[in-house]
Order: sequence, then C-alpha cells, then structure tokens
Amino acid sequence: MSAHDQWKHNTSDPLGLRDLEAIEPGYDGWAQIESALQTHQDKKRTWQRAGGWLAVAASLVLVVSITLRNTENDIPSGPPSTGLATPATNLASVQVQDNVNSLIGLSQSMESQVKKLREETSSMPAESAIYVAELEDLIAHVDNELSLTPDSIDLWGQRVNLMLDLAQIYQQQWEIDYGRMASL
Amino acid sequence: MRACEKIYRKFHTQAFTVAVRICKSRELAQDVTQEAFITAFKRMHQYRGDSPFWGWLRRVIVNHAISALRKLPRHDAVEFEDYMATNGGDQERLGHCMDLEQALEQLSDEDRMVVWLHDVEGYKHREIAQLAGKTESYSKTRLNRARARLRKLISDRDQQNAPNTTLGVTSNATA
Repeated sequence: MSAHDQWKHNTSDPLGLRDLEAIEPGYDGWAQIESALQTHQDKKRTWQRAGGWLAVAASLVLVVSITLRNTENDIPSGPPSTGLATPATNLASVQVQDNVNSLIGLSQSMESQVKKLREETSSMPAESAIYVAELEDLIAHVDNELSLTPDSIDLWGQRVNLMLDLAQIYQQQWEIDYGRMASL
Repeated sequence: MRACEKIYRKFHTQAFTVAVRICKSRELAQDVTQEAFITAFKRMHQYRGDSPFWGWLRRVIVNHAISALRKLPRHDAVEFEDYMATNGGDQERLGHCMDLEQALEQLSDEDRMVVWLHDVEGYKHREIAQLAGKTESYSKTRLNRARARLRKLISDRDQQNAPNTTLGVTSNATA
C-alpha cells in the first residue's frame, strides 16, 4: 500500500472497520431463491399467455361481430305473420345461433380468465377500481337483460366486450406491479 | 438458473456481511440477503455491465437492508446511551469481550448504517443522504457521531481492562 493509499485508508476508515472479517452466513439459501425464481418465471409465462389470449379473444369478437352484421344483412325482411320459414331464414337463424353459442363460450372463458387475473392482481389505484366497478355494474345490467332474452347475440357481444375491457384493466395493473417489483 | 447459482455462491458471504453490518440481526440479514438476491436475479437485465457486478448487487442489498430497517418498530433502534444505562451490570463482561465488531453492534441502526456505508463500502455523503431520504449534513453528522461513539466504546473497554490487569499484577506482587 502506497503512502497515499495508506493516508486515504486512514482518513476514510479511521477505525479500521474494513479490517473486520466477513461474516459467514452459515446457511445455504439457494434452494429457496431458485424456487422463488421458478414461481416468478411461471407467473410471467401465465401472464404472457393471458396477454396473448386477450388478443385472440378480441380478434374473435371482431370476427363474430362482422359475421353477425353480414348475417343480419342477409336475413330477408318478410312479413313475420305468415309463420312459414324459408330455407334462407333457416340458414340465417342457424348462423345466428352458432354465433350466439360462440359468444357464450367466449364469455365463459373470459369470465374464468378475469377471475384468474383478479386473483393475481394486487391493489389498484382508485380510478382503476372505479372503472372496474362501473364495468362490473354494466356486466350485471347486461346479465339482467340476458335473463329476459338469453339468445340475444347483441347482448352476448356486449358482455364479451365488457369482459375484455375488464381483463385489460387487470392486465395493465399487473404490468405496473411487475414494473414496480422489477425496479426495487 | 445455473449462472444465477454461480453468482449466488460467489457473492453470498459478501452480501450477507453487508446485510448483517447494516441490520445487525442475523435473522433479518438472512431475509434481506434472500430477497435482495431474488430481486437482483429478476432484474438482471437492468445490469448494464459497465461497472463491477458486486457494486450493482451491493446497491440492491443496501436498499433492501435499509427498507427492512425502516419496517422495524422504532424501539428496536437501541441508542448507545440507552444500552449503557440498561446494561451497567454487564460492564465487566463488556470490558473483556468488546472489540470493534461488538462496538459496531452497539450503535443505533442509523449510525451503524452510515459509518459502514461510508467507511467500508465507500459511499459518498450524497449517496447516503439519498438512501436515507435525508440531507448530506445528516450523513456527515451521523458519521462523526458514530465514529465518536465507536472510539468511546473501545476506549471504555480499554479502561475497563486496565484496572483489572493492575490489580492482577499488584495481587501477584503482594503474594
């Protein structure tokens, strides 16, 4: 050690604290760390999948909506009082029913996705919580209307869209939480 | 994961030492070290590689340790005066076994943190002030105070030992 280093050492560490020996931990915590990292990786993958799933669901809603619009345009506007169904109207109603079933399936999947997202998300800011509450109110309102007209393709479409909005809020919140955690 | 394990094995003791020096309690230091390593591995992508890895990891550990100290109830931060007042009966034992390391343990959490970060880890007053959320003069005052207390503790130990030795010599001489 040069004279300058010695002087620097003495002035920056006058009590010689640096000479104290390292403290042996006496434990091996690697297994716990590895497990925590594994859980983190799994969670990250789940959320990445959820993000992809949301994109797919959004695309499906779009496809169903376009199909629905085309189907509605194809339905002939004959007098309903005749009570006779033409082949064209039969085909149209089958298509509508298929679309309703698709939307019901989509809505159910969204429901379970949102449930999972909700469990994984920590607390959220007040404005997001208000938005979530409003969306849930709207969903309850749609559910109420669906109890009267269970085959309404329009209502099922609305429900899926509301669920998508809800899922997106939870996902954004998770991204914020994840960013915050990573910056610790 | 293998790379992470290698890093853990390489820096575990250093990391634990810093955590113990700041937290004092081995149990708390163990939790801090574990959490710090997990955080560090999760945000490994943020390490740019333009500075020594240990410097980056140490910052994560120090941040976790300070955060853990902040969560402790205030009464856990034992001041030197309080210690001296409540442990008067142990002075003889203290006089025999106290060394610099033990003196360090007698400091308050804040004094110990400042003196260790400044004198051993090479932190600047500005950096300590930022970590503690205080001013630079806070760091300077704490450092002077901590050093003075450490000196006093060590000198008290020396004084405690001196009469015993003298008595021993006198006693032998008399015999």
